[in-house]
Amino acid sequence: MTDPPVATSSGLTSRQAVFLVIRRELRERTRQRSFAISTGVTLLIVLAIAILPGLLGDDGPREYDVGVVGASGPPLAEALQRVDLGRDIKVSTRVLQERSEAERLVEDGDLDVAIDGDTVIVREELEGDLEALVQLANRDVRTQQALAAAGVSGEQAVAITDPPPLRTDALDPPNQAQDDRRGLVTFGVFFVFGQIFGYGFAVASSVVEEKSSRVVELLLAKIRPSQLLTGKIVGVGALGFAQLVLYFGVGLVAAVASGSTDMPPGLGGALALVLGWFLLGFALYSALFAMAGAVASRVEELQNTSSPITFLIMAGYIGTVAAAGDPGGAVARVTSFFPFWAPLVMPIRMAAGEAPAVEVGVVTALVVASIVVVVRLAARIYAGGALRTRGRIKLKEAFADAARP
Amino acid sequence: MLELQDVTRRYGDVVALDGVSFAVQHGEMRGLVGRNGAGKTTAMRIVLGLAEPDAGQVRLNGSAVDDAARRRIGYMPEERGLYPKMRVLDQLDFFGQLSGLTAADAKAAAKHWVERLGVADRAEDRLDELSLGNQQRVQLAAALVHGPDLLVLDEPFSGLDPVGVDVLSAVLREEAARGAAVVFSSHQLELVEQLCDGVTILDKGKVVADGGIKELRMRHGGRRLRIRVQGAAHDWAQGLAGVSAVHPDDGEVVLELADDADTQQVLDAARSAGRVEAFMPMSPSLAELFREVVES
Repeated sequence: MTDPPVATSSGLTSRQAVFLVIRRELRERTRQRSFAISTGVTLLIVLAIAILPGLLGDDGPREYDVGVVGASGPPLAEALQRVDLGRDIKVSTRVLQERSEAERLVEDGDLDVAIDGDTVIVREELEGDLEALVQLANRDVRTQQALAAAGVSGEQAVAITDPPPLRTDALDPPNQAQDDRRGLVTFGVFFVFGQIFGYGFAVASSVVEEKSSRVVELLLAKIRPSQLLTGKIVGVGALGFAQLVLYFGVGLVAAVASGSTDMPPGLGGALALVLGWFLLGFALYSALFAMAGAVASRVEELQNTSSPITFLIMAGYIGTVAAAGDPGGAVARVTSFFPFWAPLVMPIRMAAGEAPAVEVGVVTALVVASIVVVVRLAARIYAGGALRTRGRIKLKEAFADAARP
Repeated sequence: MLELQDVTRRYGDVVALDGVSFAVQHGEMRGLVGRNGAGKTTAMRIVLGLAEPDAGQVRLNGSAVDDAARRRIGYMPEERGLYPKMRVLDQLDFFGQLSGLTAADAKAAAKHWVERLGVADRAEDRLDELSLGNQQRVQLAAALVHGPDLLVLDEPFSGLDPVGVDVLSAVLREEAARGAAVVFSSHQLELVEQLCDGVTILDKGKVVADGGIKELRMRHGGRRLRIRVQGAAHDWAQGLAGVSAVHPDDGEVVLELADDADTQQVLDAARSAGRVEAFMPMSPSLAELFREVVES
């Protein structure tokens, strides 16, 4: 057996140490079968959400079968075809000889309604669109007849019965592209919420697992707590980020291909912003979750130590729902200024065009400043708590115990 | 060379280490012994930078232990721990690189050590699929993988079967022969006596004996004498000045002497009792020595 290699000088830079930790996190996590399964299941959900509106949304015009009885039937049938309710409705007419036949066909469901003189025959009741259609057609025929009796005909009659429709002059017209963008960004933000929560918790449980398996003692004999924590957060975060990009990409391609949505202009930029806000949000929450892990020593305790963080992000989720409903509203505006909620609420406000550049700048600065504070605090708490593998640790003790942050 | 100088560490009101000093030379194997709570683990963790001393210094080859030097120490913590779900070879590769090996060297070293420690056939398995004994071998490999010049092992023999003890003993001898300074704690004093050149005995955070095992035994010897006197009555030594106890033993007697005993007076008494055939100061075993210094 030849002699094994010997590490000469330990030329491991801080960056290399962090890189080794990142690589281990990525390798070990992607190797787990549960990772492949959860990614696959989420992709299926993404596909379902993306494709279903395309399949369900466009079910063609509504079709009505209308019977007309007797001599007044043909002109009425003609009027029924002419009336335009401004909706996607198709009417088929049938001229019948007897009222009894009309009644039988309506009873059997072959006809939706039948008109006999001044009576409409229905099975149960006359529904809205059909009533408007029938009444308008009837009024049209009667007006024509009255005009003809009064000697008005031709273009004059048409000008009376069929005046040009009113033009719409919208002061604040809906912006279809912006609405589509907002809708898609809102979907994106819900996934961001899931990823921040899921992968933030993964940071916490990874911290606790290293403590409960005691491997942390060997790790911290080799590298500093700050290097281990940085590698862990970046490694776990990179995986969450990559998944998010995958979900967005697959969802978008599927949605466009299935006809659920047109690709609104500017969507790429809006989704890139969502991803950017994910990175900020993850930095903030993963640092909090790392603290929750550092003060627990068993996975069971993590439920307790992480519950304040769970409440915090859940509250942010409520802000998100409010922003999705009313991006210009007070709730959206106020919650977007709170650094822990901004990463969820701000992208929706921005996609809706409801966030002035100054506010975006101020909120971004607030969030970045919070990240700096929280990450430093987390590094300190982690340094103090990582080696305490027994029992719950008080935050204050962990903070005081940080020997080599 | 590893040196601890007047290292003191308190945890609240408990003094875990109280002015502890000892040194381990390259090529030396040193046992760190003491009762539970004597301060062995604290001393080792301070060497590894896992705890800070309140006072005193740790030096490695003459200078304070910085990150780079610390990374080069091979360490086996008291509470074993590696990644349970990680494969054996990947794990050793990871710790090899964290200790400063290049990627290629770490791979080669990981292979070398799984073979040397007899777990090569489990190299691709997850750690938690191995028996506890094999997990312990992997733990040892993680301490050795980068060819450290200082090995700090906390209770490395605990939990090993006799074959494991032999493998570990052989490996530690090889490491010391390679020039590594080896320090380990153990309650198995016979093992320490067999393996180690020097020993440091801690009691209640203080060093109560420190030095080469031979020298220590000699120094604490002379407190007992084995004497064979032909033709003497079996109780010839009873009541001699300075003799605190007499144990007859197969025609000989073993005398325990008081601190102020004069061995020459004892010899005179023996000669007047009969023909002195043997007169040997007895050096105590490490276990006896331990009891003496710790319990006194």
